[in-house]
Parts: sequence; structure tokens; C-alpha cells
Amino acid sequence: MAAGEACGGGWREPARAPCAFSPCGRRLLALSGPDGRLRVWDALSSRLHREYAPSARLSAACTCLAWAPTTAKEGPQRKKRKSEAAEAGEQLDLLAIGTAVGSILLYSTVKGDLQSKLDGGHDNKINCIRWHQDNGCLYSCSEDKHIVEWNTQTCKVKCKWKGDNSSVSSLCISPDGKMLLSAGRTIKLWDLETKEVYRHFTGHATAVSSLMFTTVRPPNENQPFDGITGLYFLSGAVHDRLLSVWQVRSDRKEKNAVMSFTVTDEPIFIDLTVSESKEEPVKLAVVCRDGQLHLFEHILNGYCKKPLTSNCTIQIAMPGNDSDSTPKPVPILAAAFCSDKQSLMIVYGNTLQPIIERVSLSTTESPVCLVRDIQKTLVLKTEMDVTKVSLALKYSVFLIVHNKPQTLPPLLVKILVLCMRWQVGLSNTTFCFSVPQASIEDRLGAMDIDAMKVKTQGGLPQTDSFAVLLVQGLESNDPDILNKVLQTRKEALVKNTVARIPVHAVIPLLHELTKRLQGHPYSASQMVRWLKTIFSIHASYLSTLPDLVPQLGMLYQLMESRVKTLQKLSRLHGKLYLLITQIAALEKIQDVSDVNQTAKLVYEEESSEEGSEDEMIADKDSDDNWEEDEEKEEQSEEPEMAVDKEINGDSDLDPENESEEE
Amino acid sequence: MASYKPVAVLPFPRLGEKVTQDTLYWKGYKTPVQIKEFGAVNKIHFSPVPPHNYAVTASSRIHIYGRYSQEPIKTFSRFKDAAYCATYRDDGKLLVAGSEEGSVRLFDISGRAALRQFDGHTKAAHVVDFLSDKYRIFSGADDYTSKLWDIPSSSEIVSYSEHTDYVRCGCTSKLNADLFVTGSYDHTVKLFDARTEKSALTIEHGHPVESVLLFPSGGLLVSAGGRYVKVWDILKGGHLLVSLKNHHKTVTCLCLSSSGQRLLSGSLDRHVKIYSTTSYKVVHSFDYAASILSLALAPEDETIIVGMTNGVLNVRHRKHEENKERIPKKRHPAYRTFVKGRNYMPKQEDFFVSKPVRNHLKKYDKLLKSFQVSKALDAVLEVPIRVYTPEITVAVMQELSRRGTLKNALAGRDEKQLGILLTFLTRHVVEPRFAPVLINVAEMIIDIYLSVAGQSAVVDKQFMRLQEVVEKEIDYQGELLETLGMMDALFATMTSKKVTSLENKSNGISKVVEQVASS
Repeated sequence: MAAGEACGGGWREPARAPCAFSPCGRRLLALSGPDGRLRVWDALSSRLHREYAPSARLSAACTCLAWAPTTAKEGPQRKKRKSEAAEAGEQLDLLAIGTAVGSILLYSTVKGDLQSKLDGGHDNKINCIRWHQDNGCLYSCSEDKHIVEWNTQTCKVKCKWKGDNSSVSSLCISPDGKMLLSAGRTIKLWDLETKEVYRHFTGHATAVSSLMFTTVRPPNENQPFDGITGLYFLSGAVHDRLLSVWQVRSDRKEKNAVMSFTVTDEPIFIDLTVSESKEEPVKLAVVCRDGQLHLFEHILNGYCKKPLTSNCTIQIAMPGNDSDSTPKPVPILAAAFCSDKQSLMIVYGNTLQPIIERVSLSTTESPVCLVRDIQKTLVLKTEMDVTKVSLALKYSVFLIVHNKPQTLPPLLVKILVLCMRWQVGLSNTTFCFSVPQASIEDRLGAMDIDAMKVKTQGGLPQTDSFAVLLVQGLESNDPDILNKVLQTRKEALVKNTVARIPVHAVIPLLHELTKRLQGHPYSASQMVRWLKTIFSIHASYLSTLPDLVPQLGMLYQLMESRVKTLQKLSRLHGKLYLLITQIAALEKIQDVSDVNQTAKLVYEEESSEEGSEDEMIADKDSDDNWEEDEEKEEQSEEPEMAVDKEINGDSDLDPENESEEE
Repeated sequence: MASYKPVAVLPFPRLGEKVTQDTLYWKGYKTPVQIKEFGAVNKIHFSPVPPHNYAVTASSRIHIYGRYSQEPIKTFSRFKDAAYCATYRDDGKLLVAGSEEGSVRLFDISGRAALRQFDGHTKAAHVVDFLSDKYRIFSGADDYTSKLWDIPSSSEIVSYSEHTDYVRCGCTSKLNADLFVTGSYDHTVKLFDARTEKSALTIEHGHPVESVLLFPSGGLLVSAGGRYVKVWDILKGGHLLVSLKNHHKTVTCLCLSSSGQRLLSGSLDRHVKIYSTTSYKVVHSFDYAASILSLALAPEDETIIVGMTNGVLNVRHRKHEENKERIPKKRHPAYRTFVKGRNYMPKQEDFFVSKPVRNHLKKYDKLLKSFQVSKALDAVLEVPIRVYTPEITVAVMQELSRRGTLKNALAGRDEKQLGILLTFLTRHVVEPRFAPVLINVAEMIIDIYLSVAGQSAVVDKQFMRLQEVVEKEIDYQGELLETLGMMDALFATMTSKKVTSLENKSNGISKVVEQVASS
């Protein structure tokens, strides 16, 4: 029951087409296309089961879908419907359609017609609809901040309350049907009896877009179970690559999410198998906005710090036109676990004509890319629809690691292990994969080639030019813009800019440069670079100007007067160079002599006060002499020199106070 | 006896922008006050009567600000959608505004609710104004029409639908109560006379017209649209006088200074340009933070207010000179003390003994006069002279070098003095006007102090810095020489081409002549 609820409520993303699998067996898939029509597909035969065009489909687009539960004790309304359709002997299915204007339509797939319309509860876009498992109630939340409880029998609002300060984007009913999770920015747990908030969960920065309970039993089975405490639930948010898992605890100190799953992009469709017991892992299939499907398998047992990465990633690609071209990705729209929890139903292609395929996965290890020729399949399927002849479809199946055909040859042998069973009579096939993982070396090699390719592919429009900005600056004589452009230091940028400016801007630019050439020497040297670039690129244009000499005369004179001093300056530079080399040489000598000015060992005698007085006098004496003999000392302090001792002997140092260690 | 001639300090032209009367005038504003409005400011209008409050139209509100108030003193906010173009009447008692829903409303300045509401436009009325007789209002709207309304009876007088696109700007003549001008996005400006059924004059601006303005004399019309500001002579029947293209984005607003001598234009390129109305040259320019939508000048140019797309109102008030005068100045001797006895005109029979005019000599001149060369150099190396008037320092150095005593003056300096000297050299040696003198000085210093190099770390460092500067300058001049070479080549190709083209021509002519002759 809970499984049905969780599975049946496929969550959808506003930009994407809303879609939902019917509970129990996954026989039907409801999908609302961009044209506003609702299509119900038979998942087993990939055939169109029903098509429904709501009358107001263009003004009030479908925003969310939810299948009514079937396996539960029927509510009065359900009973009635059952009795009605008893003769049909078919599964009765009711589909709730939320619209962008706030009304909810109930569509019967059996009758193929609108059952009833729920109106007057919301005045804005419906964000999420959930059926109650037991009593046939319907819960909906909307952009207008309210949550509404509907009686589907009378089509009246049963209860309406404000759910959040901003729009309420998602709902979920607890497995026992007594609690309701709602989420706008924060997640709230409501008691459905009293309509009071039981718990708050905060942690998402953006609007929460999906909520799902993942367990029906608390992890610790010893404790008495009140229906909610200890349960885990899952939440995904808009623009968020992390799915968070929360636990409802008995104490009110809800801190953070207990763990999280990381995916490659914003999740748009989530399906999971609910774990019934403590040991059973939760299987999670997440379809991301980038069209990839991620599979997770995890036993929920408390806190986990690191985000978990997916056990398996599935992509679908269409082969290119030639054998060389890289396959084009085909987005996966939705995925759902079949009731045996071992195989997966994948919906891909476009929303008007989706392809539903059942894939069973024995091992889920590496990224898997399934290559499907969509066009061929489409053609075949229509044929099938007409003739009802079972055809063995010829799928070409490749397994590609990192989209690199080059790395395939060593792996091809191993693909032989891959067994494909063509099931004649069914348009979908079942595959068993046992894929060895590629070595790190292979992967790196593949990535290298990728990088190379990206480089050579180039050819994008370049933005490394200031030409437009410069022309604007020259026209309005804006110093800010001109400074920004002319003070750039990148050689390539200067070149590009000059090459791209229109010719009528060349002379104004030259005048501006002339003005700036008179400024500070350092900025002036920058301007010379611009001048040279202009002369080299626009030489032919400039030489055609009849009044070039008067135009550039001032610039020429300015530069000529500046270079007059070059000779003298060069001489001065020579002198300075000599001076500085001499200083450097002197310093070198000093550096060498500075090495050991202090004695390596200083031996001090413990002396009386009288002695210390003597020392001071002696020190003074030595200080006086020190200056005279400075140079000598400096040389003498060299420990390596052989003459050390002799010079030391000559010096006036007090041998009592300082002695060098030999 | 030959008197001492003071050192001649050569004047050098100042670099940078020329300081004109205009730059001084337009720079005389205080730092701007920023007021945040609710939306893009589409109109600012000053009350014509003191105390010259101003009405700011932004989003769905009209705020009235006092001259120095940062908070609105009054607000008209009873608009359902955006309000446009709140304009005062000449007596400053009434205010008219257009609105997005097309109605034109008339407010009493002291009241709150609208006195009159004129309904008739089917789309947003972007421009409204009073005619100069005070009892009529003209309005222009996005339904391509412009209408005249009578205030007392609140009825429509006449409607003109000659434009083929939105009417977004207009103005009324101050001299004639029946004349008004509208500018439209159909690239035309039309002059209407309320007494006639049709427009009196149509001017093709060439771009969607964003703003129009009539000169107080009524003879000239200014229109702005696209990147152009164009001035038309309407007395000559719409003759284009000037076309100005000084902005790099659309010009959105126009305004005249109080004297009528300067024209201001604001543009989406964030600039306000000020033109002289005699030469039509840009005399000054203001830079703002965002694209400008509206612009207003207070009477006497006391305040310049700019409204921008980001909803910020930028208010600049004129600085007043009074503040300076309040500071008590040191009392100087009166003028008559200096002219005492000098303005006595000698009579015919007076015996005149001329007294040599005493020249006031500067400190360095006195020292030079007494041949204290070292001290003279010290005097010009003091901070105010060395920093603010380096040309004096250089002139004295040149004088010393002319006398041949520069070496004496430079010699015998301690570490600190030498440091100052070297810093001065480092700073100015590359300036072309000082270079010839300072290079000599530098060489001389090196000659003198070469023997004691390496004794002071400070001086060594200065020398190294000087060397770096000189090295860079040499590199720079090398580059300049290369550029000169390029220019030489350019000039050469030019002259040679001229000659060749002439030769060719003459050859061709001669050939033709020959052919003619042979035939």
C-alpha cells in the first residue's frame, strides 16, 4: 500500500512534462505532453491506451498528476466506481490532474472521460497532489500557500489551511496515513487529525520539489511504534544536486538531514522501493535534468556524513548518422521499479512518443550507456500497432564507457558475457549486464583524448577585444572607458582591439594617444605599444590619408623631442651601471667578511666585582682601537684562514674574555 | 653698476585638460546626494516659484521634494499603474501627470486627490504639459494621438492624430499660448497650433524622438533621439542648424541652463554633456553610475538633478562661496600704504630725483647674488619648491652649471642631502623638459661621489632606483625610435605616392596628347 503510494506518485518538475506510473504493476504511464494533451500509455506493449485533451488545456496546463490507489480498502467513492465498472473486468484507475489555474480534474482511464472536477480550493497553480491510501481523500498544495483536503465523492473542500509562508511545492502522506509532510522551503510534518505542525525540518536552501517516505518500519523494532517516529523520508529540491534523507525522531531536536545522495543535476523524477524491514536496502532511481538515470542501493541505518554517490548510472544515446560520429544523448524522462524490484522501467525519448523499456539489472557497477535508434523504433512500433504482428526488434546494443568508442576493443571480448535475450512478441527487451569496470589507465586515456578534442573543436566567437568599448569611449570622450581600454597590458588584447576598430576611429584614437603620450612616462610606454600596433595594422589606411602629415605632425614632434636625450641618457646609464656594479662588488666583499664577526665560543670567567670593573676598562680600550683596526679584524675573523692565530695575537682583544675555539 | 639679474625660470605649458570658465562653473557642485526611488525616474520638474520644490515621477508615485530635503515632503500615489511626466504650472500651484492607463490627472499642490481627470487616451499618456495661458493642458500618448484639454470644463478641445507611432515627448511654447511641439517614435517632430486643425510644421529627426525642447526665444527647437541631438531653426521652416553626436547610446533627455547659454543632454551611456549654445561644442561632461532617463536644472543652476534607470535620484547642489569668507583672514596692509607718496605727480618746477626701484629677490637669488652656491642649491631643494615648482630647482641648477659652479654646489653633501638630491633626480630625470639639465647633474654627482660609493645603504639604494628609471626610459625611447621609423616609412610612402600619381597623370595626358597628335 505504501509502496503503491510512493511508487505511484512520480514527482514532476514544472519545466518538464508531468508523468506518473500507475500503482500496482506499473501497467500504465500517464504523461502530459507540451501540447496539453494527456496520454496514457500501456507500459508493457508501449501502446497508446488513452488520450485526453482537457478543454482548457492551453490556458490551464497540466502541472501534476497522481493515480488513485487501488489496492487499499476502497472509500465509498471507489466502491461506487468499482460497481460501475465491474462488468469491464478491468483495473479501475482514476487519475487526478492538477492544473495551472488551481482546479483539479479527475479522469477515469477506464471510461476514458472526465469523472469530475474539483474547483474552488485554490486560486493559483497546483504544485502537488496526493491521494490518501484509505479514505479516498485527496490532498493538494498550491502556489497560493495553502493545502487543501478534498472529498472526492462530493467534490468539495473538506479542509483548507495555510501551509507555508511561501508557496507549498510538495506533499507526502505517511505510511500509516495519519501524518502529512508538506514542503515549501522548509519541510513540515502535520498531524492530519488536528492540522497542527508536529515537526519542522530545515536545511534546503531552495524550494523542496519532492518528498517521499522510504521506510515503513522504524529501524529499532524493540521500541513501540507510533506510526511515524523513526521513519526515514527523502527530499529533493530545485537547483540542488543533493537528495537529503531525514529521520523523524522522538525528541524534537531535529538537526540536519541524516544523509544525502549526490546526483549529476537537479532531480526531475524519483522512484524507490520502500524497505519493509531493517535489513532490506532501499533502492532508489533518480532521473536528473540532464537526462541521466542514477541508481542507489543503501540500507538506511542512521547518520552518514558523506554524500553517497550512485551505484550505477544509465544513459541512453542515439547513434550518429555515420559510424564515426559520437552518439547523441537521449533524455530519460522517468523510471520506475517493477513490482519484483529487480527490473526497471525506463521511459525515454520525447514526451509525445515516449519509449518505454524494461531493463533488468543483474549488476550495477559502471556507467552504462544504452544505444538505441529512436527513429527506427518509432517506425517499428507504429507498424506493430497496425498489424499487431510481433516483431523481433533489432536493437544494436553497445556498451560504451565514457562515451569513448576508442576504448572499446579491449572490452569487447568481455561484452560477450553480456547476454541478451530477445523476447519475441514484446517490443521491449530484457538485458543482463555484467560489465567489468574499466581500469583507471583506460579512463585517463579516454579523458586525455577528450580534452584534446575539446581544444581542437574551438571556433566559438571570441570576446577578447575591446573594440566596441573603445569606439564608444572615443565618441563620448569618456575617461573611464578609455582608461579601462588603454591601460590593458595583454598584448593579444591590444592587437585584437586595434584590428577590429572601424577605420573612422583610428585618427581619434591616435589623437587620444598623443594626449596620453604627454602624461606619466610609465603610462606613456603603454601608449607606445598601442601606437606601434596601430601603425602596423592600419598602415595601408593611414598612408591613403591626404592630411596624414598635419594629423600626425604633433605626435611626431613630441616623440622626436623625447628621443633627443637618448645618447646622453645612455651614457648616464653606463656610469650608473658602473657605480652599481662597484657597490655590488663591495657588498660582496662585506658579505663574505660579515660571516663570522662573533666568536664561536665565548668563555666568561666568573669574576668578582673588581674584575668586572677591569673588564669594562679593558672593553673601552678595545672599543677605541676597534675602529682603527676594523678592516684588519674583519679579515682576521675568518675562521678558515691559516693566519688566524697570528692576527688574533696582534689584535687588542682581551684574551681573558674571549677566546676562540680551535 | 650692473644690477643682479634674477634666475630666469622658463615657463612650461601645463599638461592635461584646459581649465576653462565652464569647467570651473560646472565643477562648482558639492558631492551628490543619492535618493532611492521606487522605480526608474522618468521625469523631474522644478517648481517655477520659490522655494523651487521639485516633482519626481517614478513608478506609480509622484514625490515632491524640498530643495535640501532627502525625504519627500509630499506624495501623490493614487495611481493604479505607472505615472508619467508630473509637470508644474507656471504659478507652481497645479501639477499635471499622465498615467499608464491613459488618464491625465490634475492635482492641487496642497491637496491630495486629483482635481480633474481627463479620460480619452486609450493607451499610456507619456507626456503632459500646461500651455502658457494656464488653462489648457496638452497630452501625448501611446495611442499615437496628442490632445488638448480645457481645465475649467475638464473637456477635450481638440485631438491630433497625425503621428504614426507613440508620442513620447513634447513641450509648449512659453511665448505663444497656442503653440506646442510633439516628438514621436515615428522619427518626426511636429509643431502644432491649437487654432488650426493640422500640424504647422513637421521635422524629420531620423530616429525615434526621445525629447524635444524649445528655446525661450521660441525660434530654435532641439530634438534628441538615437545618438543625435539636433537643433532646428523653426522660423526658417525647420532648417537643420546643428547635428551633435557626442553620446554613444540613445540620448534620453534635454535641458537648458538658466541663462540659456548652455544645453544639457543626458543619455543611456551614463553621461550628461553640456554644450555651449554659441559654438555647439561640448564644454563639460558629467559621469553617472547608471543610464540617465531624466534631468533637471534648478533656476540659477543651483541644483542639478538626474534620474536614472536604477531608480536613484542624484542631486547636486551648487557650492557657495560664503563659507570661505567666514574664515578670518590675516589683515593685510591697505592698498594705500603701498601707493603712499608714489602717486604724486611731479609738477613742472619740481626737481625730480629718481630712486632706483628696489627689486625683491627670492631667497635663492639672494644667495646666488652673494655666490653662496651650495646654500642656493639647498634653498631650492626645500620641500615646497622641490615638490610644487621643480622648474625653479632646475632653473637654479642650470644657472649654476652656466656659472661653472655646479660641481662646488653639489660636492660636500652628507647622506641625507644626497638622498634628497637623488630622489629629485629619480623623479624628474625622465621628464623631457628637465632631462638635459638633470642628466648633467646626475653625471656630476656620480663623478663626485663615485669614490665614496657603497658606504651608505640609503644612497646606494637611491642610485639603484635611478638606474632603474634610466633603464626604463632608455627602453621607452628605443620603442619610440622604432615607432618614429614606422612613421617615417608611412610618410615616405605617402609622398612618393603623390609624386608617382602625378607622374602617371601627366604621362597619361601626354600619351593622350600624343595619340591626338598622331591621329
